[in-house]
Amino acid sequence: MSEFPAVSIKHLTRVFRLPTLRRQSITAVDDVSFDIAPGQIYGLIGPNGSGKSTTMKVLLGLLRATQGTCAIFGRDSARVDSREDVGFLPENPYFYRHLTGRETLAFYGKLCGIRGAALKERTAELLALVELEQAADRRLSGYSKGMLQRIGLAQAIIHRPRLVVLDEPTAGVDPGGSRKIRDLILTLRGQGITVILSSHLLEQVQEVCDRVGIIYKGKLVREGLLSDLMSIEDQTEILLRNATPEVLAAVRALIAGQSATELLHLGNPRTTLERLFLDVTGGSSADSREYVK
Amino acid sequence: MTPSSPDIPRPAARRHIRFSLSRILTLAGGTFTQLVRMKVFYFMAIFAVAVIAASFAFADLQTDGQLKLLKDVSLASMSLFSMLFAIAGTALLIPRDIEDRTLYTILCKPVPRLEYLLGKLLGVVFLIFISLILMDVLFSVVLYLKEQAIISEQVAALQNRKFATREMLEANIASVQESMMGQGLTWNLQNGVLAIFFKAIVLTGVTLLVSTFASSTIFTIMASLAIMVIGQAQSLARDTLLGQDASIVPRAIGGAVSLLFPDFKGFDIVDAVVTGSAVPALVMGKMAGLTLVYLVVHLMAAYVIFSDKEL
Repeated sequence: MSEFPAVSIKHLTRVFRLPTLRRQSITAVDDVSFDIAPGQIYGLIGPNGSGKSTTMKVLLGLLRATQGTCAIFGRDSARVDSREDVGFLPENPYFYRHLTGRETLAFYGKLCGIRGAALKERTAELLALVELEQAADRRLSGYSKGMLQRIGLAQAIIHRPRLVVLDEPTAGVDPGGSRKIRDLILTLRGQGITVILSSHLLEQVQEVCDRVGIIYKGKLVREGLLSDLMSIEDQTEILLRNATPEVLAAVRALIAGQSATELLHLGNPRTTLERLFLDVTGGSSADSREYVK
Repeated sequence: MTPSSPDIPRPAARRHIRFSLSRILTLAGGTFTQLVRMKVFYFMAIFAVAVIAASFAFADLQTDGQLKLLKDVSLASMSLFSMLFAIAGTALLIPRDIEDRTLYTILCKPVPRLEYLLGKLLGVVFLIFISLILMDVLFSVVLYLKEQAIISEQVAALQNRKFATREMLEANIASVQESMMGQGLTWNLQNGVLAIFFKAIVLTGVTLLVSTFASSTIFTIMASLAIMVIGQAQSLARDTLLGQDASIVPRAIGGAVSLLFPDFKGFDIVDAVVTGSAVPALVMGKMAGLTLVYLVVHLMAAYVIFSDKEL
């Protein structure tokens, strides 16, 4: 295990100067600090314009910090060599559309110093992982949104990074495709890879993340283990299967007899819309383009 | 919950190489493929039509005039297409990579920004090199065939004339052959093609520099075209402003202009090679040196801007 946190952000502040005569500025990220342990899936959530993307860009060396530091496995993230350990999938990426899926992975692999048989093997392995073997030799211009996101995820991990940063990986992807990406994220966790996930799909964040940070107006307003943040301390949930009306009546009566306890809800739990959709459609991606030669 | 984090199976630890020719060549190869798949070589068909049309046009001109016209049209087309490739090809690269966020995925790999710029530059220069070679081969073949056709025609005409002795006929044929071969395909013509290549390299460097601070492809193209026009007229402006009696202000303006804008007039040897004037090796050497200086200056300026660019 690494002796350093996968990510360590200390007092990160990023101010953008506006091109106006009054020298106005916007503080996009304001004194944000958090650490991510190796192997965690960290959800970075917040409304549009809250500072999530800016934080990630500073972490990836695409922007400079106005104040504070970012480190990846102990290396200053502004240094080029820190990117040996990072893979990134930007929001709505457009890769070189003239390249095929296989050529795309080969291009990014070569940039990371992988060559020859090792590159060929790794490319085939990743195409299988993201289930794009059948579309491997087609140009990306013919790929659907979901397929682009998956080839994007494959390029992000071509060099076996220890940290993967995903910015809205399921934006615009249908539920089936979204589920595939979610499964891939869980596969990464299984391999011990640290993941930073920025998403507006809170249900998905809740489903896969170990730890969450909520950014609002540039500040990190809540941060911690998801289980800690989600639990409501003064409430208890009891889930019963095949409870008869008599059993429910007895439970009601028992609670009614307790002066300090209040029954807030009793009824059938609901499935999620996503789960319902996936059950109805068989959980597959509706994208027929994947299987067209 | 703190998940277990087993060590990730990784290949033998890679040591980061600060400057990698392999990464540059990968980027250059990607750029070249990108431009080729944008079907830029369709321009070659236009060139082929222009050269073949020029070889048949104006048959009523004198024989050396026909060859001169063919050389004029062909070298002017080569110059035009190489400049188009230099400006349009380069202008399409960085602004588009930024707009499409492809740049994020490249710079998030261990790729220094200088290598990215060098890769893009080399890719475009390689494209220009290949297209000039193809155009040059086509031009040379057509020029050679035209030259041989004219020689055959003239030799036949001489053979139909009455000469006092056979030696006089042979002397006349030799004279025609020598004259036509001097106006036809010569190694000196390749100096003209090389000068076109040098000029296109400089223009590629300029366009790359503009594209590092430009906000769009259109702006990059327009600004680069403007620089090319200014560069073409630079020597004239300098001569006007910096006469013997020029004061310090015009001199300063002239100096700034010559630093910012390349003097493209210095690459114009095409007219000379078309008329058959030999270009000394020293001139070609100076041109190569000038190309290198401009390229290094523009590349360094582009790097200074691009390394500070916030994406």
